[in-house]
Amino acid sequence: MTDASSAQSTSRRAGLFGSAALSHALPFLILLAIGLALPLFAGGYWGVIAQRACVYWVLVSGLNLLVGFAGQLAIGWVALLTLGAYTTSVLAAGNATPALHPYLALAIAGVFGAIFGVIVGLPALRLRTFYFAITTLGFATIVTQIALAWQSVTGGGVGVPGPVFPPPFDSQWGFYYFCFALAAICTWMTANIAASRFGRALTAIRDAEVAAEASGIFKPRLLVTVFIFSGAVAGIAGGLFASLQSYITPDAFTIELSVLFFIAILIGGRGSILGPLLGTILLTVLPEFAAPLVAWSTFLYAVLLLVIVLAIPGGIADLLDFKNRRPLQSNRAIIPRPDLLARLLGQNADRGTLRLERVALSFGGVRAIDGLDLEIRPGQVHGLIGPNGSGKTTALNVLSGYYAPQRGAAQLNGVTLPALVRHTRARHRIARTFQTPRLVGEASVLDNVMIGGTIDGRGTFAESLLSLPRHRHDEAMLRETAMLALGVVGLESLAAVRADRLQHSELRFVEIARALMLRPAFLLLDEPAAGLSAEEIRRLGALLSAVAQTGTGVLLVEHHADLIFDICHHVTVLSLGKKLAEGTPADIRSHREVVNAYLGG
Amino acid sequence: MSITRRQALKSAAAATVASSFAKPAIAQKSPIQVGYLPALTGPSSSTGVGINRGTQLAIEEINKSGGIDGRQIELITRDTQSDPTKAVNGAAELTRGAKVSVVFGPVNSGESLAVTPLLARTNTPQVHPCWVDSLTDAKKYPMCFRNAPTNQQIGGAANRYVFEVLKRKKVAVISDTTGYGTASVNAYVPMLKQMGAEVVYQGNVDAANPDLKPEILRMQGAGAEAIMPWSVNAGFLSRIINTRSQLNWDVPICGQTTLGSGQTKALLDKPEYWAKVYPNNFRPVCYGEGGKLPDRTNAFLDRLKSAKIDMGDTLLWWIALGWDSPNMIAEAIKAVGPEPEKLVGYLNQLKNFPGVYGDISFTADRHDGYPDQQVVMVEANSLKDGAFNLAPGYGA
Amino acid sequence: MLASIVLSGLAIGSIYALIGVTYNVMYSASRVFSFTAGTLGMVGGILGSLFILRMGLPVWLGFLLALAGGALLGVITEIVAVRPVLKSLDQHLYVLSTLALALMVQQFAAIEWSTEPQPFPRIFDIARGGFDQTFWLPMAACVITIVGLELLYRHTLVGHAFLAIAEDNYAARALGLPERNLRIASFALAGVIGALAGFAGGQLLLAFFANAPLLTFYGFVPVALGGMGNNRGAVAAGLILGLFQQAANFLVGGIFASVAVFTAFIFVLLAFPDGLAGASAQRRV
Repeated sequence: MTDASSAQSTSRRAGLFGSAALSHALPFLILLAIGLALPLFAGGYWGVIAQRACVYWVLVSGLNLLVGFAGQLAIGWVALLTLGAYTTSVLAAGNATPALHPYLALAIAGVFGAIFGVIVGLPALRLRTFYFAITTLGFATIVTQIALAWQSVTGGGVGVPGPVFPPPFDSQWGFYYFCFALAAICTWMTANIAASRFGRALTAIRDAEVAAEASGIFKPRLLVTVFIFSGAVAGIAGGLFASLQSYITPDAFTIELSVLFFIAILIGGRGSILGPLLGTILLTVLPEFAAPLVAWSTFLYAVLLLVIVLAIPGGIADLLDFKNRRPLQSNRAIIPRPDLLARLLGQNADRGTLRLERVALSFGGVRAIDGLDLEIRPGQVHGLIGPNGSGKTTALNVLSGYYAPQRGAAQLNGVTLPALVRHTRARHRIARTFQTPRLVGEASVLDNVMIGGTIDGRGTFAESLLSLPRHRHDEAMLRETAMLALGVVGLESLAAVRADRLQHSELRFVEIARALMLRPAFLLLDEPAAGLSAEEIRRLGALLSAVAQTGTGVLLVEHHADLIFDICHHVTVLSLGKKLAEGTPADIRSHREVVNAYLGG
Repeated sequence: MSITRRQALKSAAAATVASSFAKPAIAQKSPIQVGYLPALTGPSSSTGVGINRGTQLAIEEINKSGGIDGRQIELITRDTQSDPTKAVNGAAELTRGAKVSVVFGPVNSGESLAVTPLLARTNTPQVHPCWVDSLTDAKKYPMCFRNAPTNQQIGGAANRYVFEVLKRKKVAVISDTTGYGTASVNAYVPMLKQMGAEVVYQGNVDAANPDLKPEILRMQGAGAEAIMPWSVNAGFLSRIINTRSQLNWDVPICGQTTLGSGQTKALLDKPEYWAKVYPNNFRPVCYGEGGKLPDRTNAFLDRLKSAKIDMGDTLLWWIALGWDSPNMIAEAIKAVGPEPEKLVGYLNQLKNFPGVYGDISFTADRHDGYPDQQVVMVEANSLKDGAFNLAPGYGA
Repeated sequence: MLASIVLSGLAIGSIYALIGVTYNVMYSASRVFSFTAGTLGMVGGILGSLFILRMGLPVWLGFLLALAGGALLGVITEIVAVRPVLKSLDQHLYVLSTLALALMVQQFAAIEWSTEPQPFPRIFDIARGGFDQTFWLPMAACVITIVGLELLYRHTLVGHAFLAIAEDNYAARALGLPERNLRIASFALAGVIGALAGFAGGQLLLAFFANAPLLTFYGFVPVALGGMGNNRGAVAAGLILGLFQQAANFLVGGIFASVAVFTAFIFVLLAFPDGLAGASAQRRV
């Protein structure tokens, strides 16, 4: 492609992204306009409801990152609302300390919320989903009971007055604009995170945790960061809530409220900002329409919830996803472009050799690998074949750190790679693909590929929150590199499509594009040809050969003998965990034992 | 906007609002809107359900007899569901959406604490029957009136009965873990100590706790001579009464009015267990000299009978309070009209409004309208046709 | 005093254990964690009081009808709240659907039955004693359920089929097992167990709509501690929970008892993330 046409396509892409960005922002702009103009057409009653929706959204926006993006079932997050409400009220009223200015009290509530958010969230790193959910509910009960018991500070059953913010925020509409401004800021910040490597990394943890680890994403650090943010905004929401209620007592912080926050995100749809925002508004407003039924209003509310979940299981976000309803071209071909590899991978510094040194690994009584030596050299395609159960994938997993061997180790240039610390492999530029493609189905193909380059971003979480220059630079860089990687594997026309709409073979190539984002010194592939047509296998082979030519060491675990013999420089044959034979393809093809055990006739 | 929507939904749903007025023709006068915030569902709804029976009856009667100067009363109801957040939303709709003339309720203290500042901001007069002491402040909330006793009055009467009449010096005070329960215990224990009583046991027990034997044994072990429970949970109260009798421990139980409710009675293992149980109640709805009720009360009981309103599972004074309140409000509106300042002025000078369950009086400085001397202690197992006898040894 | 704590602790613990088993049976059949378990307990108590006290039916008939009511609610749960969300388990939509259904049933009970606890009938006409039926009825129900489930799983074809579905859904279907009917049957069985918990515990907890959130909450603790799907673990953990809760109630009082229970629960769970019984290792890559 000439420079002129490539420039044309770049600007076309930019234009595409530009208009995509506008259509993406349009709903938010509409809501912003409605919110700003609300006093003009709504009465004081709906003003109070709108205040409530804004306050709830401040909390839900942070919780959304935790529940909708990271997939953690934090059902009891009302604990942080309670903490923030009491902190702000107690500090502003002067029950425990000299009375503080309400803004300062609110800020301190945010700080306490951040700290407590980490405490409530930490079990998520150790427990499975349901168990974590119940521990959060436990925290919610604990905080409410402490508020009830600590009478000298919190007023016990009688409670404390909420803070009153100074003019102009002490009038009804003044306070409304205060809450609205904070809600708008939270929307902006979380939208920034959603469109950053952190947001993508969160969805990767949720849907494809093993792939996230392979891309260098370290779950604990990322989750703790999100706990801090979610806790902080929840604490601030608590302070606003206390002001809205004018007076808080422990019985205002019900489990129903906590579940409401969670349901707003479920109804809104995962991985979306707009969806949960609309969900929060809906759930705040819905009971008001049911209220005239007096005693039956909660019943009607529950019926409506059930109807919603049955009617739109993907959530509001799914309903509004018009882009992904457009039909895809039916006869798509995957045509990789190996010539683009030079631009993508650049000069590959010689990283030395990747080695398995006398590795032995048993699962219970079964010896999966029994004293295996394996060497992958830069610039070479090394094939690893053998019957099922011979230990091929296990060997790959040891190399990439998913299994810890009982004896021996994986070594890079003589230095032992620590087992089970998977996310550090990416730093060593060791990339891999998986036997079954591990992708984020609800995200676009482009987002999935960009996940592969997460560790190359320089900006911090805070910089992404505020959309500071380094964040934008990271995004531009990752986007460009990802489009290039998709161009290499021949799938750039599907960049904006949801990954779960792709065919199986396309998913395999997307995984390779993601792996290439790391500019890998070593590329480990686990049966990439499974499910591919003959033509696709041929193209895959050409691509992998080209990758090796740039200096990358390629390990190819495979069943397709043709592919192995076509492109491998070196082949190892495993049987029952031991090396059966090793050598060039020609050697192996004629090796008597290999033929008997595996290749046949 | 809100009224037509509400009416449309009302006709479609099985609502419990029994507003029975006919839609006024154009020539007729517009209705007077009264806001109403009961807790009809949720964990603390027993009071609200009882009060509601009286309120619905009162509104129906007032409207049937022509309303106030030809204007019907439209009772706009929002169920707070025992939730302060819903109470605030409801109050916002009543004052800013429907723009009612006056609000009756909420009936639970936690909800009132949140609603009163909001009503004050919109200059809406409020009459509520909640007990927590801090709920009225004639200076801070000049439009908020309480037509029920305060915690101090209630606790004071019970404490005096135990200490001065029954002459029990060592007292066990127990409540559940609700806001009301814990606030009561925290208020009454110092009052007892100040009188010179010895509080040998003080505890908050989860109302869902199925077995109270350890707690009662603890009280016994501490040498308690009387048990004072403060809770509106009939299950909790009945367990205390049952356990006392199962242990054959002969001490009086003296406390919350709910000790005498039909609900509590139904949950007793044996009717005999209800002996020596002395709840608070109110003189006008109790049998006086010669076993007679005041005429007012008899007339009210007849009314309830002909309206087929059930008393057996609740307390008479709740129904009476529910009936008195709209009548008091209606009288005020009839006297001075529905403007807020006029209503407040009228209430500030109210002297002995003859409510069925009590004579209500306010002054500009005192917005707690229930008279001390009408708070009495009664004997639970003397319940007959909804009313009780005064507790033994109870002087004027 | 100690005897009283132990007795009431084991009794309430048995009820928690049975609700935990209810959760497990529903989970095993569908991989769905249904928030209707506590509601089933509430329904058992309310139906028992309704049929025997209010309608005057004989105890055995009221008992059977209460169980039938539970089974019906279980089947409704499967059809309305579980089957539609089976396709998207990882989106956790079952939280919303089962919660909404539970809320509907609870509200209906609160309005139509009562917002106050109502008396529950005495099952056996014996005088109240120390070791009263209030306490041993739930314990007996627990023992009978566990023994019954063991017999069902080990010695009947249907029981084997239940185990197969729980163990490996795909393989079971490939073998031709009628997965959907078995799931419906499982939910009916869960409904019966939940209603039994409420009925047997009726004299202890009374016929009260607020039992639903209480049992939903505390009934999950045995499941978490015992390991999801592990009934014996649920029973052991349920009894421990009941004893711990009653001891905490006595030692630190009502407010701090729930703090104590949940703090202990969180610590135990952090120490044993897969429950006290542990779980099988799964292949991740």
